[in-house]
Amino acid sequence: MIEEPYRWVEAIANRREYIETQLATGSPIAAVGYRDGILFLTLSRSRQKIFEIYDRIAMGAIGHPGDIERLRMAAIELASTEGFTRSAADVSLRRLAHYSLSPVMKSAFEQVYGAPFLARLLFAEVGASPEEDLFLRVEYDGAIATNGAGVSQMQNDFAVLSPTRQSAELTELFLKKEHTATVALEDAMKVAIDAWAVGHMAIGEDGAKELPERAAVAKHRDEQLADAGVEAAVLERDSKAAIRYRTLSDEEARSAIK
Amino acid sequence: MTFDQSFSGAGDDFPALLRRKGLLQPAPELKQSAGHTAFVPTESTTILAFKFAGGVLVAGDRRATSGNTVVYDRADKVLEIDRHSIMAIAGVPATAWEMARVLEHSFQYFRRTQLQEMSVDGKVRALSKLLRDNFGFVMQGVGVVVPIFATYDPSNSEPGARLYFYDAMGAQFEVTDYAATGSGSPAVRGILYYENNWGEKPLQKLNQDEAVTIALRALDTAAESDTSTGGVDRGGKIFPLIRVVAREGITTLPEEKIAAVFKRTVA
Repeated sequence: MIEEPYRWVEAIANRREYIETQLATGSPIAAVGYRDGILFLTLSRSRQKIFEIYDRIAMGAIGHPGDIERLRMAAIELASTEGFTRSAADVSLRRLAHYSLSPVMKSAFEQVYGAPFLARLLFAEVGASPEEDLFLRVEYDGAIATNGAGVSQMQNDFAVLSPTRQSAELTELFLKKEHTATVALEDAMKVAIDAWAVGHMAIGEDGAKELPERAAVAKHRDEQLADAGVEAAVLERDSKAAIRYRTLSDEEARSAIK
Repeated sequence: MTFDQSFSGAGDDFPALLRRKGLLQPAPELKQSAGHTAFVPTESTTILAFKFAGGVLVAGDRRATSGNTVVYDRADKVLEIDRHSIMAIAGVPATAWEMARVLEHSFQYFRRTQLQEMSVDGKVRALSKLLRDNFGFVMQGVGVVVPIFATYDPSNSEPGARLYFYDAMGAQFEVTDYAATGSGSPAVRGILYYENNWGEKPLQKLNQDEAVTIALRALDTAAESDTSTGGVDRGGKIFPLIRVVAREGITTLPEEKIAAVFKRTVA
């Protein structure tokens, strides 16, 4: 039956719907540029969602833990062997995503008898200057969205990973209005956690359809902070150390948000 | 960069991953042969390390030799592996630097994939395995490496600086006070033994300037009789490389500081 083109299209559409449903309950992740680097932030109750990939690359992920783990391992493996055989400077997020991850995720998605990757990934690579920072999102079907470093004119200094389209759009809208990349880390964290709250409020059938009031955002944020941990990590632009990734502890994050 | 769909993930350590991808050459098998030549250690250098009040000091001369020719006099043989670990090498530079590279990536690969820092025992063992894997080359007369490994162990039971030396087959020995390797090491070992037992104070009580003094004097003594050791080149102002491992991480002493101590207490 799959031999017929129409059936194939139908099968793909079903599969897309299935994956979207599976992913719809995750917790959003915000990545924002700040004066000295890039901040990843989310609130989580159980497992870790922000990871170090290589010296200048970090990843946030939502989806099935098994699939996230396979993709994470593959990304680390590719980056490490590249960094070992050539040099750390030759490890590039653009190549990692476009040449390695995206084709594999696309073919897993389209081979309707096999299992797709139930995961959305958000990557960031810190550059020598803010203009060279790269934010990049890889979807379960291999589609890539970037902040446009390189070809396109659009240059955002943030990116979000959300369980639903509605949540992603609202969070982006919020960040477009509220975020500037020249702020210090503490201020970036305040904006990032509010962005997270906006994204979290928009999840589900009865979620917010437009940007909520500031007071409502603050209330939701404080409620969530009461029973979830803050998970945050930064990629620092400081050029003295090779490894730019640093995790922020829950206390460190909370004291900055206050 | 190709994505191998059948990758095994967490099971591999980094050298195994490199071998699977054909990026690390396996050493030839050890063969019993009638005409086999005796193993001659040819490491030409002097490396010393000892614990002092501020952590572990690791010092190495800068000379690289080929036979009896000096090929390079600014070689860096005291290598930073991660924020708390130093591998100092005597032996064939090509193999040693490759080993340091594998080691550096191994530690990071472990931390990134397993989401925890490798234990000090694990790190010490990783270097031991690399040496063991290299032994086929050593027996063929190429690629002998005899390193010293210094690190800081932050684990709660007994945090402190740790110092190890190895033989070419990969046996590791933890030392309490000092270690030396390379062709100039017999002289250095004598000096460190003497200083530790009958010097003004034991090595572990020395402050940084005193420790640097001892290190420079020892290297100078080694260079006096060992042609493969650079010592301190007074004319060219090339000083030994000295790094310190402590709880805060690794510090590389600036050349001016070494020069000042040298002028005051050695020259």
